[in-house]
Amino acid sequence: MSDKYWRSLEDWRNVSETGDAEFSETPIDIEAGPDRRGFLKAAGFSFGAAMLAGCGRTVQKIEPNLQQPEGFIPGRPVYYASTCGGCSAGCGTLVKVRDGRPIKLEGNPSHQVSGGGLCAVGQASILGLYDSRRIAHPMVDGKAASWAQADAFVQDRLEQARRAGGAVRLLTGTVHSPTESAWIGHFLGSFRNARHIEYDALSASAILDAHERTHGARILPRYRFDKAGVIVGIDADFLGTWISPVEFAREYAAARDPLGSQYAWHTQVESRMSLTGTKADHRVVLGPADLAGFVSDLHDAVIKGGSNRPEVLQIAQRLRDARGRGLVVCGLQDVAAQALVNGINEALGNYGATIETDRASRQRRGDDRALENLLAELRGGAVDVLIVAGANPAFDLPGGEAVAKAKLLIVHAQRMDETAAKAQAVCAAPDVLESWGDVEPVEGTACIVQPCLQPLFQTRPLVETLAAWSGKPGVALDLIRDQWRQEIFPKAKSNLAFEEFWERSLQDGFAQYTPAARARTAARRESEPEPLQKMDPQDGFHLALYAKPALLEGRHAYNPWLQEVPDPVTKIAWDNYACLAPGAAAKLGVATGDVLGIQCGGQDIELPALVQPGQHENTVAVALGYGSQLSGRFAKVGPQWLEGRPTLNERGLVGVNAAPLLGFDRGSLQYFRSGVKLSKTGTTMALACTQEHQTVSVPERLKPAGAKIRPIIQETTLVQIRESGDRRAKESPRPELWPPDHPYPVHHWAMVVDLNACNGCSACIVACQAENNIPVVGKDEMRRKREMHWMRIDRYYSGALDSPRVAHQPMFCQQCDHAPCETVCPVLATVHSDEGLNQQIYNRCVGTRYCANNCPYKVRRFNWFNYVREDRMANLALNPDVTVRSRGVMEKCTFCVQRIQEAKIESKRLGRPVRDGEIQTACQQTCPAKAIVFGDLDDPHSEVSRLMASGRRYRVLEEINVRPGVGYLKIVRPDAPAGEEKENG
Amino acid sequence: MSRIMMLGIFEDEDGILSAVAAARKQGLSIVEAYTPYAVHGLDQALGLKRSRLALVCLIAGGVGAVVKLWFEFWTMAVDWPIDVGGKPWNSLPAFVPVTFEVMVLFAGLTTVAAFFMVSRLRPGKKPKLVDPRVTNDHFALLLEETDSTFDVDRVRALLKHHGAVEVTERITGEVLA
Amino acid sequence: MADIALSPPLVVGHKSLAEVTHDVCRPMERRPGGIWWAAFAVTFSMLLLGVAAITYEIATGIGTWGLNTTVGWAFDITNFVFWIGIGHAGTLISAILFLLRQRWRTGVNRAAEAMTLFAVMCAGIFPLIHMGRPWFGYWIFPYPNFRGSLWINYRSPLAWDAFAISTYFIISATFWYVGLIPDLATIRDRSQPGLRRTIFSIASLGWDGAFKTWNRYEMVYLLLAGLATPLVVSVHTIVSWDFATAVIPGWHATIFPPYFVAGAIFSGMAMVLTLMIIARKAMGLEAYINLRHLDVMSKLVITTGSIVGFSYLTEFFTAQYSGNQYEQFVFLNRALGPFFWAYWTMVSCNVLIPQLLWIRKIRTSWAAVFVISLLVNVGMWFERFVIIVTSLHRDYLPSSWTSYRPTSIEIATLIGTFGLFFTLFLVFCRVLPVIAMAEIKGVLKHGLHRLEAHR
Repeated sequence: MSDKYWRSLEDWRNVSETGDAEFSETPIDIEAGPDRRGFLKAAGFSFGAAMLAGCGRTVQKIEPNLQQPEGFIPGRPVYYASTCGGCSAGCGTLVKVRDGRPIKLEGNPSHQVSGGGLCAVGQASILGLYDSRRIAHPMVDGKAASWAQADAFVQDRLEQARRAGGAVRLLTGTVHSPTESAWIGHFLGSFRNARHIEYDALSASAILDAHERTHGARILPRYRFDKAGVIVGIDADFLGTWISPVEFAREYAAARDPLGSQYAWHTQVESRMSLTGTKADHRVVLGPADLAGFVSDLHDAVIKGGSNRPEVLQIAQRLRDARGRGLVVCGLQDVAAQALVNGINEALGNYGATIETDRASRQRRGDDRALENLLAELRGGAVDVLIVAGANPAFDLPGGEAVAKAKLLIVHAQRMDETAAKAQAVCAAPDVLESWGDVEPVEGTACIVQPCLQPLFQTRPLVETLAAWSGKPGVALDLIRDQWRQEIFPKAKSNLAFEEFWERSLQDGFAQYTPAARARTAARRESEPEPLQKMDPQDGFHLALYAKPALLEGRHAYNPWLQEVPDPVTKIAWDNYACLAPGAAAKLGVATGDVLGIQCGGQDIELPALVQPGQHENTVAVALGYGSQLSGRFAKVGPQWLEGRPTLNERGLVGVNAAPLLGFDRGSLQYFRSGVKLSKTGTTMALACTQEHQTVSVPERLKPAGAKIRPIIQETTLVQIRESGDRRAKESPRPELWPPDHPYPVHHWAMVVDLNACNGCSACIVACQAENNIPVVGKDEMRRKREMHWMRIDRYYSGALDSPRVAHQPMFCQQCDHAPCETVCPVLATVHSDEGLNQQIYNRCVGTRYCANNCPYKVRRFNWFNYVREDRMANLALNPDVTVRSRGVMEKCTFCVQRIQEAKIESKRLGRPVRDGEIQTACQQTCPAKAIVFGDLDDPHSEVSRLMASGRRYRVLEEINVRPGVGYLKIVRPDAPAGEEKENG
Repeated sequence: MSRIMMLGIFEDEDGILSAVAAARKQGLSIVEAYTPYAVHGLDQALGLKRSRLALVCLIAGGVGAVVKLWFEFWTMAVDWPIDVGGKPWNSLPAFVPVTFEVMVLFAGLTTVAAFFMVSRLRPGKKPKLVDPRVTNDHFALLLEETDSTFDVDRVRALLKHHGAVEVTERITGEVLA
Repeated sequence: MADIALSPPLVVGHKSLAEVTHDVCRPMERRPGGIWWAAFAVTFSMLLLGVAAITYEIATGIGTWGLNTTVGWAFDITNFVFWIGIGHAGTLISAILFLLRQRWRTGVNRAAEAMTLFAVMCAGIFPLIHMGRPWFGYWIFPYPNFRGSLWINYRSPLAWDAFAISTYFIISATFWYVGLIPDLATIRDRSQPGLRRTIFSIASLGWDGAFKTWNRYEMVYLLLAGLATPLVVSVHTIVSWDFATAVIPGWHATIFPPYFVAGAIFSGMAMVLTLMIIARKAMGLEAYINLRHLDVMSKLVITTGSIVGFSYLTEFFTAQYSGNQYEQFVFLNRALGPFFWAYWTMVSCNVLIPQLLWIRKIRTSWAAVFVISLLVNVGMWFERFVIIVTSLHRDYLPSSWTSYRPTSIEIATLIGTFGLFFTLFLVFCRVLPVIAMAEIKGVLKHGLHRLEAHR
């Protein structure tokens, strides 16, 4: 049977070619040749089978292919369904395993959360597995130990605590693993004074608290942006870092399809320019002090229908017009404000429509009040045993270093971070790709984490550790299976036997069940609503602490790909900085790069300034997640040469940790601080910014008389689309200087990028880096504008400085039919294929750079140095299908030609033409917003052909007639009057 | 049989020019004139024909051009046609510059080679110097006996009359100083 | 003869043929003086610096230059074009002026041709070292190979360049050598038996001054001049096509060929002047390189300089007239953008300052002309820098606009080429006749005839 299963493998790529098959529950039909789902079953099953075969009760092995399993073809990738461990969102993944080693992560198309997409963090997390600097074995008192020794040490101390009734505290991040929760219960149950505290460094605690108050359950509802017609985001960067960005980005894009039944109107109320703010149709820029006030005004306007702020009234009006289709999301850490937001949503009947409480989200479960108490306990020295698992409080919490005050600190961690460094006992934790686990990001969707290779180090999953310490040692796989047998399986009400159920879940990567419906208590109005938090607006600057989409709260600071991907808004890599509004910067007399001293609540840090359009006048925004010990490893990243500058700052770290500036107020972690003093230090610092010029329009002084704005970014309006029915005006045949003696007989590969869907999240950049073995070059090279990313996202501002409109434009090789680069290469190192591909032949290239000079899009990348790859282990993540380029050769986007070839060979083997959608480029595959479509123009019915015919389609620099093979779909501005259409982003 | 030769040495170009003219008028056979630089008018005086090297140059250039043009066409359009920026296989205009350069190269080198050959110039060749001064500041005229009418004294007188600073008599085979 | 009848003698002072030989050969027979050694020490250490820089660059990577993703060429190609331009004056003097029967050239053509060769050598370094993988540089020539055979791309101006530069070097070298043969013979016959004599007798191919040979020699020289003349034009035309055929605004211009050729001759003339003025003092050749040369060459400098200036104006006009905003922007950006200083240095050195040469007093003052010639060289270097860098650093997509600043390695490399150039020239002055004796002897009588006629 395994043979047939394996044969189903080649079909896995027909992702979502037939939406129905996608979700059909019918068991796979071997004869008919199973579909992707079938493959997953197969993959999962054979894997599970291997596992079961290979393991007794205690030993688990991953079978080395001494005898090659039938149908297992070396060099052909196998995909395993698993779950991403990058953040607490719990996206379903497909792990691409080649010859027994995982080399790439991709979104699981049938998974509720990821829906096939994956964010930059998820894409980069493969490096976590191959991180040679991970904690390789348990440690006791800083010395290496065996698990037996470690357990002995810990259990002995725990026993004392048990007898003495000492205070045992378990501090973790959000735990949404059913099995882990269960075992945490078991474990702590054996102590008299034990508590489990969950926290999120990027906390949503106020939302949960507010729901406890208004809906009687401390839950984080599930927001359904795809059902929304009006979206009001209040300081919630839901496309960037808030709760579940991949899920939200997908739904957001779906809600804003200009040809869809409704086009969601989005207003963003915020103090700094967030990634989400860049997509908003309308932005309200308010200081942190006024955000809560805005909420209550909106509340009054919606409920009482009155407000003295016309802006608010207008928004309220839109919300009322869209009853049950509106969605107000708020990221404020103010329970009272959140309660008002719930009130608004309740009043508009959004609960049950765009906000689900039955299938609540478990992606942020942190309880700041409990956390605050714990820190107090710790400071008071009242904690005997503190166990920290999967969190780094010493780094990402204000006063987090208090963890050291615990009489015994046990840390379960993957890397020697600030917290682990203080621990008496360190338990080496495995990477998600090498351990069993389960996750339930959304109630009713239980996902499985399955290992794809033998653990690389002496690591042990948390459940096993807890089981061991509870005196019931077991293997993670068994523990999880038991948990599922007892909990998930009954709820699923499946008609299958458990084994089958488990296998299918393993194959799918998840199991779904209908959670017990929550009694929907309509939002209670408090008798006396708690007053909103007050921030003194007069008191100098307000500090807004935020997270960057790539680095989040800093748990991935070890990850070079995430350090190097430019921030989607500021385009700066390898640093955090103090964002200032242009006005404020002028007032202070500082320019980008001037180092500022920031004093706040007794804390004092120094950061370079960055002038950020669209930011509130007296707000200074600083990114969290920098200055982590984990970034100390980048001392030698990038080329080392005569004039090379270090990537690390004088502290030997990347950036500065701003977490100490966080604070608690009324039981929630505060990201806004008032009473901030800024001072000039007189020093300056070069930031690694990949984009010097921020607008499409040229500097006023150099503007030729009567020159139009360059038509690089083009916009249209809903009205126009509706009028034109999205059909193109007849194009006159382009002038042809030469005989058309270069036809594309079989395929003509092309790509269309929907600028309206793209939100600049940069997942594509990292996906491309992972797929194409793109080196990391370090801060100095980035500063010198020598980044190697084959794909970049150009970000342009337009309009007023304080409230600019923003456009994101993914830019990569346009595969021109009349490629200027090809003509000028003396040695024929870049030539055109008869499938319309602009090919770069690395081993022929002598590196004159003439092609790069002559490229109008400047998308070619030159190997300025030999970018060292001395980390043997990190090299295991290299894609064997893609050459690692040597120094002195040119490289660039190839449309993932290796994937094209793979699919062509496959279809040839099967004697059928390549199917549309069968080939997905890495960027397209990972895009949460599905903004990128790749396909064959020779096939008139292909998706790409359809989009090329769209009225929104245009080509960048079409006027120079290089015939780019990439089309862009214009940005849609729902409100913009037609007159503004010419205005470019 | 050995024949007599008369070598006249002059100190300026005017002397040798008139001597040559006179000598030819008297039907004396001039073996060769040796000068430190290309004396203008001496070629007419000696009645030398225009060199045919120009023809060599023309032909060599022509050959070079044709061969290279054909080669470019052959490599780009016949031997291994590759789509370069959608340009036609036979991008004739783009082939012109190299064709021109190769034409010049062929023409130049061939002409010089031909010149060396006909003038028997080659590295390490022992120069046949009638007088070491002819490469510095003196001019030499070498006459030879062709028939019995050759009168040594008359010839010496003639050379002296035209300003020869010295006249020496030599036998074939020992022309060299 | 009318024109000559009105002009002063080419060689001042009644020099006999023997004296010419003596004057020209003396520097070679004396042991070099302290000044020569000092000069040599300086230039040679510059050369070593350059060698070090290039070695480091080839060993480490092009990244040791200040280039970036947007500005892919800067110092490298600037220096390349600059040196090629320098070279052109030599050919102009030896070939074009020969065809135009400008007899004054005889005083300077030998040195000028030498200059051409050395300049082309300096230029030739850059196409090679600017490659990411110079060790595969030979790939840009078509040769049968086991890749298919995979030939080269004859549509690429860089391929044209390879042919143009190598042809130019070979032909110039040949031309120069043919011109040298009679003088080599002269030296052979002056020198005592020994190594020196052997070398010169091998090199002079057994030249014996026979007039039949002289006759053919004249023809060959004429033919080579006839070939070199279009060649020199073609070479810089092709160099200009490196830019003109590109799609980059500021490069994509039809005016480039004439503009570049004029610029080349302009800069070359300036360089010839610089060298001549030094050489004449250093080697006591005042009689052969005299005010007349100074005057005529200064005039050439004004002429070509004005052509260049006119081209600058034309560029702006065409850009404005084209209505192409990218084109228009590039030129505004040149004059007012981040690199405005480079642009205005170029304009003042190339267009404004040479205008001083209209004044006869300045034109005939060795010092003044010397300074101006130096400034012109500076200006012409910046012209190439402006064309290359200001066009590249801000092209179509504002997102990829960048800036450029050279690294120490690039500067050292530039210094190194000057080191190479002057080292070679100094050596040349020592071992070969800097003045074409055979030619100068041929024109000794010019002017003298006239003087006699006047008596």
